[in-house]
Amino acid sequence: MRLKNIATSWMMTMAEMRRSRIALILFFVIPSVFYAVILLITTHRPIAFRLASISLKSLITVSQRDEAMVFIGLAAVGVLTSFLALHLTQKHAEVNRRLVLAGYRTTELLVSKFLALVAVIALVGLYVGAITPIFFKPLRFGPVLLGFMMAGYVYGAYGMLVGAIFRRELEGILFIVLLANLDIGWLQNPIYYFEAQNKAVIRSLPAYFPSQLSMVSAFTYESVLRPLLGSLAYGTALLAAALLLYSLRMRLRKKP
Amino acid sequence: MSLPSVALGAEALLEVRGVRKSFGRRRVLRDVSFDVAPGRIVGITGENGSGKTTLLRIVVGLLAPDEGVVRGSARSGYCPQDLAVFETLTVRENFAYFATAYGLGGAGSGKGPRPWTRTMDELCARFRFADYRESLVSTLSGGTRQKLNFCLSILHDPGLLILDEPYAGLDWETYLRFWEFAEERRALGKSAVIVSHFVYDRSRFDAVLELREGVLRCA
Repeated sequence: MRLKNIATSWMMTMAEMRRSRIALILFFVIPSVFYAVILLITTHRPIAFRLASISLKSLITVSQRDEAMVFIGLAAVGVLTSFLALHLTQKHAEVNRRLVLAGYRTTELLVSKFLALVAVIALVGLYVGAITPIFFKPLRFGPVLLGFMMAGYVYGAYGMLVGAIFRRELEGILFIVLLANLDIGWLQNPIYYFEAQNKAVIRSLPAYFPSQLSMVSAFTYESVLRPLLGSLAYGTALLAAALLLYSLRMRLRKKP
Repeated sequence: MSLPSVALGAEALLEVRGVRKSFGRRRVLRDVSFDVAPGRIVGITGENGSGKTTLLRIVVGLLAPDEGVVRGSARSGYCPQDLAVFETLTVRENFAYFATAYGLGGAGSGKGPRPWTRTMDELCARFRFADYRESLVSTLSGGTRQKLNFCLSILHDPGLLILDEPYAGLDWETYLRFWEFAEERRALGKSAVIVSHFVYDRSRFDAVLELREGVLRCA
């Protein structure tokens, strides 16, 4: 991989995103709307649950609103980044193929898009993290924020994988909706999985580690090393699969 | 851009031998062979759906033939029929992106003009869209986008140009400039394969081949 090529492609991808002003505004408006809805519909009524990744025997009791705030922050970052990643991977497929013909390597193109995605994940994660303390004070703010970013990392990589598999946008969107709604939008909420009969399914989904990272940090002082490493491993595995499929799809045909 | 390469015979910049291609039961190319020598402009014509674009996509490496060999020796430039440019980038940014791909230096943050910027300026002036260098492609007319589409394929001064319907959408003045440019290149020993559903000005070509029923014939 040539760093200069990655840098140029990253700059061009960032320039394109900068010019999509309405989409950029929505990236900041959507989490705010999510938080506003939680504020409107939740109360400070105490709720009790156990977190899947720690071995505490006793239940954790927190305000319903606080729990919902962490959950919805994760969902906002994860869903937004997966759609952005899908868009970055699918858009300009023909021009990108022309760039490959002209001398770019597919790995350089995909890595530059991923780095552009990382920049957006950092911005959105920081923004969501910055507005979170307005509504509640987590026990450990930094790791909660890191959990949001890991949700962006894992779901960004998932969005790239879906974009590498499907050529058309609609199929990609539906595939993201399918998993994101089930996983980060529902099953990773401790209120749901607390009494679930088959927790192994929930633990194998992409948002498990990032949501544990944020939830454990927000409400306990337990170690978050395992969910952090798990998030990194899950995201990297998805990214590697995306890179492989994207390279196969963009490869040039040589001899018969 | 690298063509599928095998050891070449003397002279030819491009050799296509026995290429066959089917999509399902539909046999698009049955047995296509042709050569392009240095300093030649070869036209390939045929009815809509005759397989011209399929042939070009095989020649540049975008599509694999079922059988046959494509051998190339020169660095080539490919201009696809459909616009393949970044619409939310400016004209200059498109040139910078492709300059990086061709290994000409690219955007970078260094001071002073890059070597490719001079070529870009010359091409923009020659094909009369210099005023739009800083404009977003999405704001340009169809004809100007087509000029950019074409110029991106010649930024690196390739020995062999492979053009799919290159003058669709161009005005008459630009069409004439295109041929002036092609003839200058021919005088320097550079070649072109031009695919078009009709060949308007046959005398400008060194050879015109017609693709009919999956086979190339002299037209």
